[in-house]
Amino acid sequence: MDPLVAVVYALVFPGLLFLFAYALFLQFVDRKVTARLQNRVGPPWWQPFADLVKLLSKEDITPENVDHRAMRVIPLLAFAAVATAFLYVPVLGPSPFAFQGDLIVVLYLLTLPTILLFLLGWLSRNIFGTIGGVRAATQLFIYEVPFFLALLGPAIAAGVWSISGIVEWQRANLWSIVFQPIGFVVALIGLQAKLERTPFDIPEAETEIVAGPWTELTGPKLAVMRLSIDMALVVGASLVAALFLGGPSVAGTDFVGAAIGFGMFLAKTLAILFLLTAIRAAMGRIRIDQLNRFGWTYMAGAALLQMFLVLLLPQVVAG
Amino acid sequence: MTYLTSAEVSEAMADIGPVEAIRRNRVQVTTTPGRIRAALRSATSRLQCDHLVQIATIDTGHEFELFYLLTGAHRTVLSIRTLLPRDRPKIRSVHDLLPPAGIYERQIHDLLGITFDGHPNLGRIILNEDWPEGEFPLRKDWKMDPAKSYGGAPEEVR
Amino acid sequence: MSEVLIPIGPQHPALKEPVSFRVIAEGELIKRLELDISYNHRGIEKAAESRDFVKVVPLLERVCGICSHSHATAFVKGIEEVMGLTVPRRAQYLRTVIGELERMHSHLLWLGVAAHEIGFNTLFMWTWRDREIVQDVLEELTGNRVNYGMNEIGGVRRDVSEALIARTLIRLKPLHGRFTKYAEIIEGERTIRVRFKGIGRLSREEALRYGTVGPTARASSVDYDIRKDDPYAAYEEIPFKIVTDDAGDVLGRTRVRIGELEESVRITEYALRNLPAGSLKVTSPRVAPKADVVSRYEAPRGELVHYIRTSGGDHVERLDIRTPTLANWTSVAASLPGNHIADIPVVVAAIDPCLSCTSRITIIDSGTDETSVMTWDELRAHGRKFYRGREDR
Repeated sequence: MDPLVAVVYALVFPGLLFLFAYALFLQFVDRKVTARLQNRVGPPWWQPFADLVKLLSKEDITPENVDHRAMRVIPLLAFAAVATAFLYVPVLGPSPFAFQGDLIVVLYLLTLPTILLFLLGWLSRNIFGTIGGVRAATQLFIYEVPFFLALLGPAIAAGVWSISGIVEWQRANLWSIVFQPIGFVVALIGLQAKLERTPFDIPEAETEIVAGPWTELTGPKLAVMRLSIDMALVVGASLVAALFLGGPSVAGTDFVGAAIGFGMFLAKTLAILFLLTAIRAAMGRIRIDQLNRFGWTYMAGAALLQMFLVLLLPQVVAG
Repeated sequence: MTYLTSAEVSEAMADIGPVEAIRRNRVQVTTTPGRIRAALRSATSRLQCDHLVQIATIDTGHEFELFYLLTGAHRTVLSIRTLLPRDRPKIRSVHDLLPPAGIYERQIHDLLGITFDGHPNLGRIILNEDWPEGEFPLRKDWKMDPAKSYGGAPEEVR
Repeated sequence: MSEVLIPIGPQHPALKEPVSFRVIAEGELIKRLELDISYNHRGIEKAAESRDFVKVVPLLERVCGICSHSHATAFVKGIEEVMGLTVPRRAQYLRTVIGELERMHSHLLWLGVAAHEIGFNTLFMWTWRDREIVQDVLEELTGNRVNYGMNEIGGVRRDVSEALIARTLIRLKPLHGRFTKYAEIIEGERTIRVRFKGIGRLSREEALRYGTVGPTARASSVDYDIRKDDPYAAYEEIPFKIVTDDAGDVLGRTRVRIGELEESVRITEYALRNLPAGSLKVTSPRVAPKADVVSRYEAPRGELVHYIRTSGGDHVERLDIRTPTLANWTSVAASLPGNHIADIPVVVAAIDPCLSCTSRITIIDSGTDETSVMTWDELRAHGRKFYRGREDR
């Protein structure tokens, strides 16, 4: 691929800049829809951007005895991880950086922000941070296995380990969701848990542990970390859209085809966002031990069942 | 509503003290500090009082009056009254008979300086933690000493 | 994880008023609790002794923002009893109306706060939206959203016109449907059930033993309600039900409060529709004879008691207030150890603490050194055994 095109793709569109803008836009949609569901007015469209600018300009207050360098670097690492993951997600069509196994790389990169959040809580030497960090890590162990299983289902069905490859396969056949509805539901729940949104916002339960691992983050650090999680929402939603809803499936690689593909991408990610927002508005927060029970019985059970069906179905069809 | 009559209360509190009916739904028994526990036991067992309403206190200037107010399904307020001399304001705690008394006694100790023997913890409760010892603000003869510090942040000289 | 000390307060997002809980926990399980609640103490009882009756009424209104009418009415009716005054029926009905509106806005606030404590912000927003209806009514009737200034010794200070009554009844009408909806939500919504059911359970025997009052006690089948037990204002003439529940847990207390909301709206409407004609007050003498009076009032949080002694002058000799939140703290201290940290805001919120009223509680528990995992029944038993163990010392 032409190096100049690659750089523009990675940094501007549909790379970093687009990711940044779309993350802020999805945050706006999330907040506006939640507000309307709660009979409130909600913020104007430029609010997330204003919040970001405000946070970046605020004073950075770091406690005395913490590891300053680590605290400064970790939000940037999280940002980098999420931005890199987005490179492999199909937006206009197949990603130019795609390769066999990029699904695994994306899943790994998406795990990093949670682990980094745990580190932040631990390093901040604050009791609320420690408890929140431990809760984040515990939550990770609970939802990660079912989440991975659910997302590997389409890969197994398509026979390829590249996200773009799966999208291509869905274009030729049906959307994965048709044969793997359970997997779709598990993936959505897992995504909600990964993003630590209600009912899974246990690590940052405001009324219990102030702000969990976020307690000692201020100003620019808070801005970058929050932005990373918002971008993770985009990446996660796009991933689920690509694996289950066919992503930006297009017939050709010309301009019109790419535009249609982009439009479909936007529509599908917005649809997934609406589902996640509805879940967030309609429920309260559960406890970590209740999540444990729920995750290991229902989520893991459902994911295993789906995996079983995925492996079994081709045999049945063929036989 | 069948309230307790003073006759019923007199019978139950035969060896406790004199009984008088204050109102149609309030009966008062006056006794000595030493017989408070017996009075409370009679109230809970023989008169079916199951709810401690309040331990009211009054500093009359020459003594402390304590009122243990109880009620039950009969909806009558039974008030058990006793007097404590000012120079020796001590009485046995009743927190083991009536658990809510634990908090009430602790508060009374903080504000009036009455000591409840047998109470597990009579530490500071309602006054701030750096309030000076021995100052009992709800006593009638207590006056704030402008020279003393009663806790809190020191006044800054502007 | 070994034991850690988690400070909750005095500044903490879960708390609406300053209080300091120091929670000693092992992992997520609470081992013991140290409370310190002296942050809102303002010496009101002492201040009341140096003011005449007229000045004490506005002082007492400011004991608490949410139950200001409760304190004012409790005091005023005690003094009226001492002076032997007969307050006109119209004033009694108006006191009832304001009292029930206060109960409604307090319970709606509580419902929102309880939902917020478990992260269910949608219900929080909806209940507070409805609370605005009640606040608007209160503002039209009394001129203020809190601290109404309606009471004075001998009657009330403000009248309501026929037009105002008609407008108020129209405003209150939609609340019936909304309260029914809330009752449905708490039964059906899964996260509420999971966070409230079985949490902070008190049996009937425990509720009585620990001296709980108000909706907390009524949720454990204790049917004490001062409006029926020792009636005041217009409650003897207005038909209404006492709401009880037998679950004894936080869900039961929620059901009781929603039931009381429904009853309150009916009482308010009945009182406004049947408001007797007449004067608003009788003139009161400046001094009061020597007397002792126990004035009890059913505040939104439970039984409020004012013990008043007058000695022939125009001041009280003593005003001893026992607030409902003070009575309910013993049950919190008894029921929290053994629970999860995540349950602290829920259990504390379930007694609807009003720290401004209370500002005087501290319970120190010291636990055993057991670190085994316990089932729910064992946790409750642990709590009881542990509290009983403290008494034996």
